[in-house]
Amino acid sequence: MSKRQLSIAITGAGGAGVISCGELLLQAWARQGGRGLLRKAYGPQIRGGESAALLKLTDDECYTAASHYDLVVALDWDNFARFEDEIRLGPQSWVLCDEAEALPASILAARPGIVHLPFAELASACHPEGRVNMLALGVLGGLLGLPCAGMVELAARKLARKPREYREAAAACIEQGAARRLARELQVPPTAATGACYMSGNQAAGLGALEAGIRFVAAYPITPASDVLEWMAGGLEQLGGQLLQAEDELAAINMAIGAAFGGVPAFTATSGPGLALMTESIGLAVASETPVTILNVMRGGPSTGIPTKSEQSDLNIALNGLHGDAPHLVLAPLDIADCVFTTGWAVQLAQRLQTAAIVLSDQFIGQSTAIVSEPRRCPPLAAGSAPAADGEYLRYKLTSSGVSTLAAPGDAGQRFTADGLEHNEKGTPSSRQSDHQRQLAKRQDKLTGFAFGDDWARISGNGPLALVCFGSSSAAVSEAADLLAQGGTPARVVSLRLLAPLQTDALDAALQGCTSVVVVEQNHSAQLYHYLKGQMDFPQAVHSYAMAGPVPLAPESIARAVTEVLKP
Amino acid sequence: MTSADPNPELANFLAHSLELEAEAQQRYGELAASMASHRNQPVAEFFRRMATEAEHHQQEVVELAAGMVLPQLKAWEFDWPGAEAPETSSYETLHYRMSLREAMALALANERAAEQYYRSFASDSDDPATVAAATRFADEERGHAAALGRLIAALPEQAVYHREEDDEPHMPE
Amino acid sequence: MTEAIRLKAKDYKSEVKPIWCPGCGHFSVLNAITKAMAGLGIDKDNTVLVSGIGCSSRLPAYVDSYGFHGVHGRGLAIAQGLKVARPDLTVLALGGDGDGFSIGGNHFIHACRRNVNITYIAMDNEVYGMTKGQASPTTPMDWDHSKLTPHGPGVRPFKPAALALAAGAPWIARGYSGNPNQMAKLIAEAVTHPGFSFLHVMSQCITFCPEQTDWKSIVSEREEPALASADEAAKLFLHEDGFQTGLLYCEQRPSWPPAGETASGDNALAGLAASFRL
Repeated sequence: MSKRQLSIAITGAGGAGVISCGELLLQAWARQGGRGLLRKAYGPQIRGGESAALLKLTDDECYTAASHYDLVVALDWDNFARFEDEIRLGPQSWVLCDEAEALPASILAARPGIVHLPFAELASACHPEGRVNMLALGVLGGLLGLPCAGMVELAARKLARKPREYREAAAACIEQGAARRLARELQVPPTAATGACYMSGNQAAGLGALEAGIRFVAAYPITPASDVLEWMAGGLEQLGGQLLQAEDELAAINMAIGAAFGGVPAFTATSGPGLALMTESIGLAVASETPVTILNVMRGGPSTGIPTKSEQSDLNIALNGLHGDAPHLVLAPLDIADCVFTTGWAVQLAQRLQTAAIVLSDQFIGQSTAIVSEPRRCPPLAAGSAPAADGEYLRYKLTSSGVSTLAAPGDAGQRFTADGLEHNEKGTPSSRQSDHQRQLAKRQDKLTGFAFGDDWARISGNGPLALVCFGSSSAAVSEAADLLAQGGTPARVVSLRLLAPLQTDALDAALQGCTSVVVVEQNHSAQLYHYLKGQMDFPQAVHSYAMAGPVPLAPESIARAVTEVLKP
Repeated sequence: MTSADPNPELANFLAHSLELEAEAQQRYGELAASMASHRNQPVAEFFRRMATEAEHHQQEVVELAAGMVLPQLKAWEFDWPGAEAPETSSYETLHYRMSLREAMALALANERAAEQYYRSFASDSDDPATVAAATRFADEERGHAAALGRLIAALPEQAVYHREEDDEPHMPE
Repeated sequence: MTEAIRLKAKDYKSEVKPIWCPGCGHFSVLNAITKAMAGLGIDKDNTVLVSGIGCSSRLPAYVDSYGFHGVHGRGLAIAQGLKVARPDLTVLALGGDGDGFSIGGNHFIHACRRNVNITYIAMDNEVYGMTKGQASPTTPMDWDHSKLTPHGPGVRPFKPAALALAAGAPWIARGYSGNPNQMAKLIAEAVTHPGFSFLHVMSQCITFCPEQTDWKSIVSEREEPALASADEAAKLFLHEDGFQTGLLYCEQRPSWPPAGETASGDNALAGLAASFRL
């Protein structure tokens, strides 16, 4: 079944306000019951430079980056080359622009239809403070059939803190734009007309964390994770929690560990470079059995890499970055809405299993905004059986589940010293082989012995072929499976949500009946592929499709590559 | 709050004596444990014996103070001639390979300091009960010092380089 | 409270016996801490000692309170997170000169600046003991006992009190391992001070720096009351010999975070979720 979708790219000089234009258009679209995704692309400048609002309107919530844009609205073409890799045109695409004569070669090559609209002139004509982005909003809303009053109201709300004249100008431009009749029309997808939320993956992760009980956040700014922390700062204030801005990531993770030791569920968010700095202390959380959740919003690496672009290349460090044998949890949300569920689940698991949980989100789902149905929530985990409290309190008591009772300061008579040095059951430092082996096994067993249930992966479709992926690749891989099915190769998609401990038996069962497996991921060195091969003996032939960022995984490319791989 | 004792001077003296002996006992105990963990058994044993003696003295003070209300002083509210209570071994002279002779010399210095402390308390006081108690304690300390002096004299000659060792220090962390 | 007040210093010690060398100044700090706890009648269940890594950082296990022995240099970060999350607790951070002024230096200056209501005791013996006696940020320039720096570090040592002052610490004191009773009083005052209190302790290392036994003859007790002006304190800290003990500087300044009104609590969750709904 072919889905109906429409993609629109709005580009312009930073300062023109193309992102606001995209946001308001998506919100107005959502009010009509529509579904859609907004990605944001920027140049390296903090202000000015160039930016792009990349919209995709669909009739479902499978949000992949658009492989081509049906309409490119160019408020100007300066430095458009920055976005050439991402903004590609299809055979039916057309371009709406102010400066028709300045079309870049990459656009001309696709021979698009071109509609000229003097944005700047029209905007100044309708109000001295007129803005091109608001005019564009009106034009696009008109093309989508959105009520003008709704756009004006949304704009007024967004510009509530600006002077009155500014809002009046916006309204005038929106109305002027909506009234324009253009020579071309858009194929508008149908709308779902059911209740929905408008959120970014970073906000969704923050919400999931707070709903799961997080009441302490330690924060050090880093792109693209800062907005999680900023959103949580406001949330924590309302909840009576605390946010502490740290001096660096080394402090942030340790502050979170300190708060968690105090019995307050604690969280931090970062990206690759910050995760690298945190790894020593994540090991401390593992060894001292202090629950803590780290959201890592992945970006291009290594080193400073590509901070504003997405990549799934921190899987290795998340799985293996800790020194020593340090079993911990690694999870990955599958889409924007799933950031609520997976982050909430991670927090609960970390608390329950008294360990560190790393959640691998990425810039694509983290900083994209989407209209989503009410996100699924992770229900409270069933209570574990509390180990019998007989005799002396032993913080690291060996139990059948591996989980021991965790006291917090203030609890009477259960005083102990948490330790990152290897220790005995009481917590006293010990370098004895028996203590080391028992405590290593305890920390491993409490993870491997836990029943994680059915949420370890999202599984869909059937066929002799299986596509295995993790995290945000899920949407592109699912769409690729649709394309493959259309081409006569039905496939099963297994999107891993729980990466460590890997549910090998469940994965093996999910792959029953498949004869070949392709592992799909957005990085250069096929990190997931190698991890899975190292963890399991697959009866199937296992292949890899690994494509580094910064351009998002494209369903068509995946389908093509898979077809190629499967050729006899 | 506890009300003051009818004889505040004696109460104050006994509170100091009690602390002096308790500090001596705890410090000797600490040194004994520390020497034991560093495998210096003879010195560990000696310090343990000194801790036990200090405990007996403490008991003596407790008995003498029966029925009295001693002032409850915080650690820093005691009035000592030096930084710490007189019979408390200071840390500077310690070494994990210290000899029994050195340990005994340290203890001897402690006993003499304690005797001097009690003696000066007796000479500074006008209260007969305090003078009597302080003199009694001073005499006892003198007796200990004499006994220690005899033990030291009976010790065999000691090597000059006994603190030296051939291995490098360890690196525990 | 009534029961707690009867506890003696020795009652605040745990069963775990220190591994420190006999003669180590850290024994004295341990005694001072337990004496301060006894003097204040502190509730063991509501007290947490947090440390990093090093000889001195072993201390929490020797006290019968809650404790956290973390990783090298990060004790202050753990302690601040804990205190901000649990303002009801008494939190003391401990560590050595390498832990606090080298690997943890950034946390130290920011803790001074942030002014969270915790006590930080830096046990300074001018050497890395656990790794066999290398020079630290407070080692004298010409100290040539380490194979790593056979001609001495050749670098000017930090002046921790001056550093703390410049970074904004509102309460700065110095103690000496030869005077645990004075140190106990300083610790009690530090714990009572409503803000970040920095107690710099000259704590001798008998094994790697036996020359430090001479400190006894250098150390002096400062007679004057604590300075209340940063200007005067700056002069003192830049020109003194580093061996004056006592409360040196104290300025009342609001600690962080400010005591705020209690927020609406968990029922705000529904509102947060609703804010995303169209």
